[in-house]
Parts: sequence; structure tokens; C-alpha cells
Amino acid sequence: MTFERDDLDELLGAYALDAVDTDERRRVEEYLSLNPRARAEVEQHREVATMLSYSGAPAPDGLWDRIAESLDDRAPEPGPELAKVMPLPVRPPVAVPAPAPDPSVLASGRRRAWRLASAVAAAAAVVIGLLSWRLVDTNNRLVAVRSAQVTLKDQYERIRKDDSARRAQLLSSDGAQHATALVTVDGTGYLDGSPLAVLDPDHTYQLWGVVQGLDGQQVISLGVLGPHFDVAPFTVRQGTLVKLVLTEEARGGVPVSKQPAALAGDLT
Amino acid sequence: MKDDLTELSDAALAVGIARYRQEALAEAYRRHAGAVYGLARRLLQVQNLAEEVVQEVFLRLWNQPDRYDPARGSLRSFLLAHAHGRAVDMLRSEGSRRQREEREARATAESGYDLDHEVWDIATAERVRSALSNLPSGERTAIELAYFGGLTYREAASRLGEPEGTVKSRIRTGLKRLRGELAAAGIVVGGDR
Repeated sequence: MTFERDDLDELLGAYALDAVDTDERRRVEEYLSLNPRARAEVEQHREVATMLSYSGAPAPDGLWDRIAESLDDRAPEPGPELAKVMPLPVRPPVAVPAPAPDPSVLASGRRRAWRLASAVAAAAAVVIGLLSWRLVDTNNRLVAVRSAQVTLKDQYERIRKDDSARRAQLLSSDGAQHATALVTVDGTGYLDGSPLAVLDPDHTYQLWGVVQGLDGQQVISLGVLGPHFDVAPFTVRQGTLVKLVLTEEARGGVPVSKQPAALAGDLT
Repeated sequence: MKDDLTELSDAALAVGIARYRQEALAEAYRRHAGAVYGLARRLLQVQNLAEEVVQEVFLRLWNQPDRYDPARGSLRSFLLAHAHGRAVDMLRSEGSRRQREEREARATAESGYDLDHEVWDIATAERVRSALSNLPSGERTAIELAYFGGLTYREAASRLGEPEGTVKSRIRTGLKRLRGELAAAGIVVGGDR
């Protein structure tokens, strides 16, 4: 069967709803890989379908626990290029659908895997395979991070036009380096680190907030950002953020910094 | 941490998931698992199969976060598209043919397809219902059979006794019209979060 462009366009709605047969699906996917307009149309159709989907009832109890258990042996420690960018907790963690697994459980799982690998002669091949998987997996995750960064940049640009957002211009002591942060009225912030120098892989930028609360000022960590970042999100939900400070720390970040401020700026 | 995560955008959550933050995945689950499960259950009619779909969807998000591109749509849309595709694959597998026939008979006997109960947000239910009611019945039925019935457009055409090209066209036109109706009703379709 041959497909003309109009035929393929006509199939986009059915394709978006998984209502095409295998051959048609393959042809449409080839078409989508070459046609951004068609790709956008499919995404729009899927968004419309999303509006029709029911979410009034929660998923069954225990389902998240089963998913979380499946994650245990998959998550390696973050590498330097995967350093945390999520905000560190401002207050004690609140229960999520299911608690994150105890780190000791993760550690014991890894120890078991290591003992097994040591005992079995063929383990070398397994380890090589695993390492290969990890490399591919890491690359995929980096792609995901980069993709998400594009959207974070878009959000930053939107907030830049928001007159209600507060701003901080972070400067180094010699004025050679600068970075801009925006904080919305709900405490969500974005730091544009694209102008900053790239650190070596053993070091990371770490963002700190000086927060004015009822008991005075305190300094909290807002994120370990890696040796380079474009736009990093952070949140401050308690108190009033009055100042942002960026330090250079050893890879992994620190709970309390002993380093001088690499850049700092007041919120205005 | 929950209060912080609940305010994060899909894009920020995606960054967290890509960086192995389980709490980011938990937050994505908290936001969207109900919708994913509801859709899978609607299609498959069997709880354990629907749960299997939910597990697959969130494990794939964890293992292949690069498959989600925040610039191209919401996380909910991405997850539901995967859930729908997986559920349809299950429906169309040889082993489930008998179950499917029973399910279709049961669905027809019980209440047919009632989109009024498929609206995902109570606050917008009335406006979505109104937008749906404005669709020509042929378009509405074609979308229902394809999306909630898991039929191909050819199967839907056969069911309706209509030409395949007509049904194919109605699905596309109906989706476009529905998008326009939703936009006119002030319901934003797509975007981040």
C-alpha cells in the first residue's frame, strides 16, 4: 500500500488515538520523523484526548509501593553530570504517595549484587553489559535533562516579563561574573546560570538562600547545581527570600558551606 | 519536600526524574496515576491489567525519561498516550480476544460509552461536557469508539457501517473541532502542567 501526504495527514487523528493498524502506524511514524507540523498536530490531538480521560479516582492502594520496589536496584548514585538540581528540603519531608526507600536498603541491594558478581566467573560479562547499559541510560537521561532545560528556559523567559516577579542580580566580587535569578510571588525561582564559567567535574555550584523568617534570618541550601547549568529551578515556601548566594563546592555539595561567596545578590 | 515538589512544573519534575530523584517520580505519580489508571481500567475493564499498565507507564518514565519532551506537551498527555497505547496493545493481542468480546458485550449492555464520566477535572467538567455536546454525533461516536473502545478506525467503520475514510476523517476533524471548542470555553489544552 502506498501513502500520499494527504492520506498520511488524514491518518493523524486516528494515529493519535492508537486507532491505526501496524503498517499504518509505521508509515505515519516515518512521516512524523520528517514533518514537524504533523508531529505538532499529533501532540495537539493527544492533549485533547487527555482532557477526556478520567482522573477522579486514585490509583489502587499499594500500587505505588510495587513501583517503588521495582526502582530499588535501578538507581545508581548521581554522577558529576547528574548532580542534583532539585531544591533541597526547606522543612522536614512530608509523606509522598509512598516513602522513598531507606538508603540502607539500596546499599544492601548493591552489596548483594557485588557479592554475586564476585562469585560467578561469568560475572565479568554481566558487569560489562551493565556498564554499557548504564552509559546508554546516562546518555538518555542527559538528553532528558537537556530537553527539560529548554522548557525551563522558556519558563524563565516568561517570568522575566512578569512585573510581579522579584529579581536578583548575582555578581562576583570582581564583577566579572553575573547570573540573574527570578522569584515569583509563590516562591518559585529560576536562576539563569548560562553566563557562568564551567567548573571542573570535581566541583559544583551550590545555591543558597538567605531567608527572613519569624526567628530571624537563616541560610538554606536551594540546590546543588553541578559544574554548569543553564536554568535551575528552586523554591522557597517559608519566610521571605532576601538574598541569593552561589558557592563553589566539592562535587556532591555540602550541608553547610565554608566557602566564600562566588556570586551574591539581593532580591529586589 | 512534598510541598516544594507539588509546585514544580512538569519540566522540573522531568529533570528530577532524569537525575534519579524518586520523590520526583512519586510526585508525578501523585499527580497523574489516577488518570492513567482510570484510562487503562476504562479500556481493559480488568483491575490487575490496568495496574500492570500503570506500573509499566511509570517505570518507563523512570527508565527512559528522555522519551518525554516537555516542549512538546504535558506530562499527563505523555503518560496517557503511553497508557492508551499499551492498553490497546493488550486488547488487540490474540490472548485477549475472548476477553475483549466479553468486555464489549458487557460495555454495550451496561451503559455504552458515556463521556460525561470521563472528564478529568471536576472544575472543568461542565465546560468539557458542553464542548463534547457541540460535536456532530458522528465525530463524537468515532472518537469514543477509537479512544475508549480501543478500536482501529477500520474496526470502528465496520461497527458503524460507515466507509473507512469517513470515520478516519471524522476522528481527525472531531479532535480539531473539540480542541477549538475547549479553547473557546476557556479551557487551555496542552502547555506545561
